[in-house]
Order: sequence, then structure tokens, then C-alpha cells
Amino acid sequence: MREPIQINRKRSDSQHKAESVAAGFPALLVAAERVASTVSQGVHGRRRVGQGETFWQFRRYEYGDSVQQIDWRQSAKSTPVYVRETEWEAAQSVWLWRDGSASMDFQSSEKSTSKRERASLLLLALASLLVRGGERMALLGTGMLPATGRAVLPQFWSMLEANAGAANSLPQVETLPRYARMVWFGDFLSRPEELDKVVRTYANLGIKGHLVQVLDSAEELLPYDGRILFGGVESGEGDVLVRRVEELRGAYQQELARHNDALKAIVRRYGWSLTTHRTDHAPEPVLLALFVLLSEAVGG
Amino acid sequence: MLSLGALTFAYPAALFGFAVLAVIWWFLRLTPPAPLRVAFPPVRLLANLIQQEESPARTPLWLLLLRLALASAIILSVAHPLLDAHAPLQNQGPVYILLDDDWVAATDWDKRRSSLLRLADQAERENRSVVFATTAPRPSSVRAEPLSLLSAADARKLFGAIQPKPWPSNRQAALDQLSALSARTAATAGTVFWLTNGVAEQEQDEDPSAVTAKTISALQKLGPVTVLTDGSLRLPVTLGEPVYENGSLTLTLRRSVDQGSVGYFLRAFGEDGQVLVRRSVVFEAGDLETEAALRLPSEQFNRLTRVDIEAAGHVGAVLLFDERWRRRPVGLATAGAGVPVQPLLREHHYLARALEPFTEVREGSVEDLLKREMAILALTDSGVISTRDRNDLQGWIAKGGVLLRFAGPNLAQSGNQENGGLLPVRLRAGDREIGGAMSWGKPATLAPFGEESPFYGLPIAKDVTVRRQVLASPSLDLAEKTWARLSDGTPLVTAERQGNGWSILFHTTANAEWSNLALSGMFVDMLRRIVGLSQGVSGSGDGPPLVAIETLDGFGVASDGNVDAQSIAQKDFEKTRVSADHPPGVYGDSGSRRVLNLSVGADQLTPLSALPVGVDQISYEAQTERDLRPWLLLAALVLFIIDSIASLALRGLLPMRRAIAGLVWVLVLAGSAGHTAKANEDFARANSLQTRLAYVISGDEQVDETSKRGLTGLSGILHDRTAAELGSPQAVDPGVDDLSFFPLLYWPIVPGYRLPNDLTAQRVIQYLQGGGTILFDTRDRSGGASALALRELAFGLDLPPLVPVPRDHVLTRSFYLLDDFPGRWMGDGVWIEKAGERVNDGVASVISGSHDWAAAWAVDDAQRPLYPVVPGGERQRELAYRFGVNLVMYTLTGNYKSDQVHLPAILERIGQ
Repeated sequence: MREPIQINRKRSDSQHKAESVAAGFPALLVAAERVASTVSQGVHGRRRVGQGETFWQFRRYEYGDSVQQIDWRQSAKSTPVYVRETEWEAAQSVWLWRDGSASMDFQSSEKSTSKRERASLLLLALASLLVRGGERMALLGTGMLPATGRAVLPQFWSMLEANAGAANSLPQVETLPRYARMVWFGDFLSRPEELDKVVRTYANLGIKGHLVQVLDSAEELLPYDGRILFGGVESGEGDVLVRRVEELRGAYQQELARHNDALKAIVRRYGWSLTTHRTDHAPEPVLLALFVLLSEAVGG
Repeated sequence: MLSLGALTFAYPAALFGFAVLAVIWWFLRLTPPAPLRVAFPPVRLLANLIQQEESPARTPLWLLLLRLALASAIILSVAHPLLDAHAPLQNQGPVYILLDDDWVAATDWDKRRSSLLRLADQAERENRSVVFATTAPRPSSVRAEPLSLLSAADARKLFGAIQPKPWPSNRQAALDQLSALSARTAATAGTVFWLTNGVAEQEQDEDPSAVTAKTISALQKLGPVTVLTDGSLRLPVTLGEPVYENGSLTLTLRRSVDQGSVGYFLRAFGEDGQVLVRRSVVFEAGDLETEAALRLPSEQFNRLTRVDIEAAGHVGAVLLFDERWRRRPVGLATAGAGVPVQPLLREHHYLARALEPFTEVREGSVEDLLKREMAILALTDSGVISTRDRNDLQGWIAKGGVLLRFAGPNLAQSGNQENGGLLPVRLRAGDREIGGAMSWGKPATLAPFGEESPFYGLPIAKDVTVRRQVLASPSLDLAEKTWARLSDGTPLVTAERQGNGWSILFHTTANAEWSNLALSGMFVDMLRRIVGLSQGVSGSGDGPPLVAIETLDGFGVASDGNVDAQSIAQKDFEKTRVSADHPPGVYGDSGSRRVLNLSVGADQLTPLSALPVGVDQISYEAQTERDLRPWLLLAALVLFIIDSIASLALRGLLPMRRAIAGLVWVLVLAGSAGHTAKANEDFARANSLQTRLAYVISGDEQVDETSKRGLTGLSGILHDRTAAELGSPQAVDPGVDDLSFFPLLYWPIVPGYRLPNDLTAQRVIQYLQGGGTILFDTRDRSGGASALALRELAFGLDLPPLVPVPRDHVLTRSFYLLDDFPGRWMGDGVWIEKAGERVNDGVASVISGSHDWAAAWAVDDAQRPLYPVVPGGERQRELAYRFGVNLVMYTLTGNYKSDQVHLPAILERIGQ
């Protein structure tokens, strides 16, 4: 009996933290370039008649229309009988993904947060914003259908906790509705060519995405001294023995910058974007950047 | 064994281990310290940067040398180096050790023990077995075990536990055992060590040196003999049998060898181990014997239990003392079946108080007392003495006892027949009352003592009067027998010589019933003279055997009875000498105690004469062999720790920063603890030197400020109008501060206030039980949130039930006469603990109200009121102050004020 209670507390903690990060932001309405042609109802008006809240037009009553659709006030003004129609409002689907590979567990000191923890926090905070905007979303690679409402957050949390569908350092390619949006959180330290392959596949589907690279400060600054054996954390990576780390620091930072430049070149090629975030920085700025990226107008 | 000058290696083969050092050197050179491993996700990027293979780093030279030193220390310690090792043991057989473990050896026992342990070490190194024989005989109750071959380890255990025996040795028995063993085991020739006490043993009609030669030759049959001796200079100085003459105790000190002029200190101890006297004794050059007289006041002499030579450290320098040495014990005979009297009015009490300063007093039945040492037996007005007791007493007096009797109603009634022979004079029946209600005369005083009286010379106390006495029948020798008279010539103290003893009668009581003689100092002086007259009679010589109550060990230290000690029949006690069965000490039972001293009947100690040729003689001191192994092992351990730390530091695993941070934390904490203690002390000092009003910190800043200013204002008013001069108010936190300094605690309640924890509640309850008073103030009209908070608080504090202040309560008239108690508000009731609920000097411990008194009392720095009072008017503020004054007076004066309230009624009742 004790186990579930603990999990719930942990979940509510984590969710609470994510929501408090998101609290400073207004509801996020994802700018819908071309809203996915799903039947799901949402806040993005399709400028045509359909299911929705917003008034669209009056038209003459036709045979087969439900009597309940007749707008009696309008009909009383003239002879014909009018039916009130509303605009079809559809929702944008956003697919979220977080790198769950072993490299995300890295934390340079006991006090700092791990990359995985921070990526989950950002994902949940973003999800919380999306929920408030009424958008639909799903976790990539889990097979779940896009859903909306506050109930999604706990579901996300438990999926993230179980590390569902994210054991690789890049998302698997799967079939998605066209024109969906994507946000990926990860460290993207694998070879740029691998990333290029995945991004190209999705971009060809007309999907637009944002990459958030979460790095630890140690990964960026290499703050070690002396003789150190650096071990790989993922399979296939060997160990590297460095005699004097301090001598290598400048070269390493250049190498990392080169890697990131390669990543940026890839995402720019497909119209995607890349944001870099360090775990020792506050999460709000990157969330703001995401907010701007997701809500900006078409072609912006 | 390999010797290099003073250095000897017990296991030189281990030195070949140094050859391994070269291998260690080569091995260490090749193996660098392991690097620190860090898991690092972007390792791929690093791998891009580093192409070439990392060549192994070299171990730093200093680390290499450190490790070689470590290895060397271990190899050397295995080789077991010894500094100044002594010669290896001769022959191949067992090591025979003969130890003189009698009292003479106790002087330098530690040296003997370390010699023994050294021999055990040596035997262990050379892998010899040990045969250990001691010369002091065993008590007959201990089963004699034949000697056997011991391993060196077992021998060492034995040596650790052995103690010198407090009786003389018998070497011949030990030699017999040794030769029996060698005959039994047919061992090869070994080597013999004789640890002597330096004393030659004597046998009948034989020259001591011949006895020694016989001993040596017996030992030489076992192997070459080495004698360990200190020479004759360390032979002990002994105390001979003491002699008591003319009030001083003469002690004889004996030594065996003339060492020139040497001084010693004698100490005499009382019953409780207290040193009664300490004096120096000097042997003049050429003397082997000297005498010292200890002069002790008789009262101190009677407490003497032990005399010894200071720092001698052996039992031969200790003398115990028993009752035979006591001077003149006085027995108080208890009457068979007397009327129970209050203990402080008993005659025994008076007598015991008068006698105790200078003699030992015992109480018991006549029969019991006569069995013991007794000089004087005091019989108070006990009535009938049984025929047997009478006969015993007469015999005892004839032997020299002094019977001291006191008159009283019983004696006055009984006839002369019953007391036949136990009274110095014939008495007239009945008693005489002088100066009573039916008499014209005045109580009689004492006449000066005659020259023939033992009391002659004592000053007569003028205030001593005798109201009643028994009268002696006139007779021819009455005047001779009279030691003290009243002013009218009638005898007060009469005495008669009977055999060697005396029969003495005080014609009045030993308590203050008939006379105030027993209350005067003269009574003490008279008794002292009588005690001086007596000589003491020893107890009868038969009784149960005497068992050892307390025995001395070889060092002269007393301990509870030795279980191996045999009891001694009383009649044989005088003839008994100290032996293994009868160690020196105290023997007896609860009734009588006798001491057995070693020196009684002991002979002069004869130093060991020159040893025969062919015997090695070494001193106990000379054997200083130092083992270097423990030091080498310690060095190896230290080097190992240094090496471990260095290895960790090289790998970067040493959390240097955290260690330093931890150290700083410890220092800071220690500092703050000291600071807290200081703060507590300051708090206690400030509040105990001056009486202060106190308020409880509510947590609300404004409320606290109001409380402080309110109490300041009230203290000012008290200073102006009353004798109470109080210090500035003190803010207290009941959970932290000690409340016991404050007579009154003002406790404003803020809404939602809760006690922080149970401990705080406990402290407040303690404060209330300890006599404190708390004024709870909810500061609002009743029924608000504060009242709720107070209710919560009251549950936690276990407050007593409260009632509205009665109209005639002391609080209404302790300084001013008040009808109600307004504060900033008025009109609500004030509640107080029900009178008589607690015994706290009549002061209620809890007063509760809602008038926000502190606000009414509060003044600013210019002494102007801070808050308006509601409904208003200076009259209300004045009344608020008056309530404050009454309250403080009430808490400070307690029931004094409540007595004042009742004063008219009290005066009326007295009828003034």
C-alpha cells in the first residue's frame, strides 16, 4: 500500500514543479500553420462551417436540418427561416519527446539536477502550457493518441518515469498525421548524420519541430584537472584517458561548438529550430523561447 | 641470533626479505597509480581530440621511496631487532625459575615481575619450556600441585598474576619440588634463574651461609645458576612488637644492614583510615635498631588501628592494633526490661555523650560486656541485677574492673541485699528530696573536693544543683569512701576499693532528672578522672575460634578476609605466628577482634652471604633489553596511512574541499555552542541580580513592542509609588529561556498562537508549579480568536480551573482598593485560579483577562501614554495602573498581603 502513495506524491511534486515553472506564462496557443486534418475539435478556426463555439454565418433553412439548429430570433426578423452555423474549430497536435538514454542521467555534482530530470521538467511545463491552450498532444514513440485536458499531465509523467519509448538518443521514425508539431528534448550528442536522418524523415511529412538541447555545465566547460579516465555511458563508446585535462579544455569547447554548429545547420535546413539549455540555468528562459517559437505566426 | 654491536636480530633469516625490495622497486616503477574515472556523455567529442595512445605514467619518486620504506619496516620487524639483548640461554633444557615470593620481596616487586616477564620473553624466543617454583609455602587449604613444564606463554600469564605472600618463605620445600620434577621428567640440563629476596634462610643450629650454599648446590644440579639479587641494601626495614608505657607507644624499627644514617617516617592510622600522627625516625650510623615513641592523646590512641613505615611497601612494616591496645573502654550496661524512655532523655545518652570525647563506649548486656576488654562498667539506675550478673561483676571488680553506678528511683526502692557487694556504702531506703515543692530548703550545691578525692583540683561549677539523692547509712568509714559531697556534707559520690577494682556510686541520676550535674562540664571532668583511675581487664579467654576478618597482603594492603586463612582458637591466639594458614590481619567476630602481626616473634633478617664460585650474579636493574619490533610496526602503520592518503590524493579521490568544509563546520558549531552557554549565563546573571517583570514573546512584533513598553510603564509607576524597584522588563521565550527568575509573566495571546512543542509546555507547567504567576491577556473583548487560542493553550498547559475574581480577593486590596480591573478596555471579567487550589503561598498561579493591560500601561520614551483607553478618561488609565501595582504586589508578597486582609479579624480574635 505504501508504494503507490509514494509514487503519487513524487508525481504531484514533479507536476507541481512543472506547473509552477509554467505559471508565469499565458495559455499557449500553438500557431497552426496548417492545422492537421483531424476531426478533433480545438481552438484553431478552420474558416469553414463545422463544430465549434464561434458564430460563423446564418443560412436559409434547408430540408434535413435539425429544427434545433433554427435561430428563431433571426428568423423572426424576415420571412425565411434561418439556421445558425458555427465555425469548425480544430486542434493542433503537438508531439513531445524526451531522450531517455543513459547519457541523460549525467549530473556533474550531487547538487545539480540531472539532464533527464530537467528535460522532463521542461516537457511537463510545456505540456501544462499546451493544456491551457486546449491543444492536443502526445508523447512520441509511446503509441498514445493525442489528447488534451489536465488528465494528460499525470499520464505523461508516468510515461516519462517509465522511460517509455525513449531508450534511444534519437526518436524512432513513426507514422504521424501531417502537419503536426514536434518538440524534442535531449542532449543530441550523437553523430549529426544520425540526427539528420531522423529529422529529414519527419520534415518530409510536413512536420515542423523544435529541438531543445539540454546539457550539463560540466559537458560544456570540462571543469576537470589532472589525469582522468573519461568513460562512455552508452553502449559502443569506449573510454578515453586524458593525461592533463586542463590542457584539453579549450580544444574541447571548440569541438563542442563545432558539433552544435553542425546540429544547427541540419535543423535550419528543414526549417526546424534548436535551443540550447544548461541544467544549472533556470528553466524559464528556455520555456519562454519555446513559447515564442510555438506561438509565432506563420512565416515568422 | 645475529648481533651487530648493540643491535641483535632474533630472526636474522627474515633479513633476506630485503632482496625482495628490488622486485618491489621494479614493480612499482611500472605500475602508475590508477586514474580517476569519470562517466562523461560527450566522450565521443573527447575521443576525436585524442588520437595517440596514453603512455603509462611513472610512479612519482617520493611515493616509490615511501613504499620501499614501508616494506623495509615490515621486513625489519619480522627480523625482530633487539637493543642491548642479553646473553642467550645456556644448554637446551627447560628454564628453571625459582622466585622468592615472600613478604621480603614485596619491596621491589615490580622489578621482579619485569625480570620474570623478560625471562619469559627470552624463553619464548629460544623456544624453551619454563619451570616455575616459588618459595613461599601455600596455605594448607590450597591443593599443592606438583610442578610442571610450562610453555613460555602460560608462564607469562602466571607471572602477570603472581603476588608476594605476606608470610616467610621456605626454600627447602621449593627445592624438593624442583628436584622431584627433574627426576620425574628426566629433562636435559637447563638453565636456572634464582630471583632472590636477598635474605638468607635460617635453619636450626646451622649457619645461614651453609644453608645458602646447600640451596645453590641443589640448584646447580639442574643447570648453571644465575642469581638475581639487589644486594643487601634493599632489604626491608621492619617494625618490631610495640610496647605501651606511660601513655606513649614505643615502636622498634629494625634493619639488617648498616646503611649509615637513614630517616623514615612512621604513620599511625585511625579507624577510618585517617592519619593520626606522622613522625620521623632516624637510624644513626652503626645502629641496626632504633626506637620511636608515639605519644598520642588517649582519645586518639583509642582509635589507633594501624602503624606503618611510610612508603615501605611491604607487610613487615605494618603493625595492626586491636582492643588490647585500647585504653580503658567503658561499657554501658543496658537494663534488662526498662520502661521505654525517649532516647534523648535516657541516662545512657548523657553518659555516652560525656564519655565519647576521650574513650570508647560500648553498650550491651552485662554478660556481653564482661566478655570483652573493659575498664569501666557503668550501670545506670537499672534496678535489679540478676544473681549471675552480680557474681560475675564481683569477680570482675576483684580483677581490677571499675563499676560505676548511678542512683535513681529504682535504686532508692531496692534494698541493700539485692545490691550486696556492688555498692560502696550501705544506703538508707528511699531518697531525699532537697528543695522541692514540699521542702523548705533549696537545691543543694557541691562542696569543694577533698584532697583525698580523685576529683581534687576540679573547679566546682556554681550552677550545679542536686534536687534529689539517695542517702548513705552513716558508718565509720563513710568519710573515707566519700569522693564528693554536697554543701550540706551528704555524700554525692562514694567509692570502695574491692580487690583490684573499684565500686563507685553517684548518689544521683546520670540524667537531668534529679540533678543538673549531668548537664555540666564538670560531669565530663569527673568521669575523665574515674576513667583515668581504671586499668582495664581483658576478656575471658574462651569462645568460638577467631576467623580472619581482614587480612594484609604482601604489600601491607588490607583486604577482606582471605578465604584460605584458617581460623585460630582463642586460647592459642597468643602463641600463633604468621604462616601460610594464618596471614597477618584482623581475626575475630563481631564481639572481639584480635590482630596477628607479622613482626611478632619474627627474627632479624640475615642478608644473603657471598655466593659460591661458579654462580652468575646479576642485578634486577641491569636487565634492560629493548624490543624494537613494536616501534617498527608502528612506523609501518604510519607509513601505510600516509601512503593510502597519498594514493587517494593522486587519484583525486580525496574530498579535500569537503573535509575542510566539515572541519570549519565543526569549529563553527563548537563556537556557537560556547556562545549559547555564555548567553544562558548572561541571561541568568542579569535576571537573578535584579527582579524584573517578564513578557512572553508572542511572535507579533507590535504586540511584543506594546508588552515591552507596557511593562516599562508599569515598572516606572511601581518605582514611583511603591517600594518595589524593578529592572527593565525582559522578553522571554518559554521554550528557550529559564523562567524561574520571574515572579510574574505577562503573556499576551495573539490569534492562532500555539505552543511550539511539548517541552515548552512542560517548562511552563514547571514554572507554575514552582511558584510563578502568569497573567494571560487575550487583548480583545472576550470571545475572539485570541480567546480560542488561549483555550487551546490552556489544554496544553493543564491549567487549574478559574473563577471570576471574588470581590474580597487579595488582588482587590493588596495595594490599592479596587473594584474592577480595567486595562485598555474595561467591563469584562478577570478570571483567577480558585483560592486554595494550589499551595503556592496563597498566590494564584494563573490570572486571565482580556483588557489589554499592556496597551494601557504602555508609555513612549517621553513617558506619555501610547494608546487611548476605551471608553476613556485618565481615571481608567489610573485604575489600569493601580491594577498593575496590585498585581505585582500580590505576586511579590504572597500571603503576607492576604494575612493583612485578615488582620482585623485576627486582632479581634486575640482580643486586643
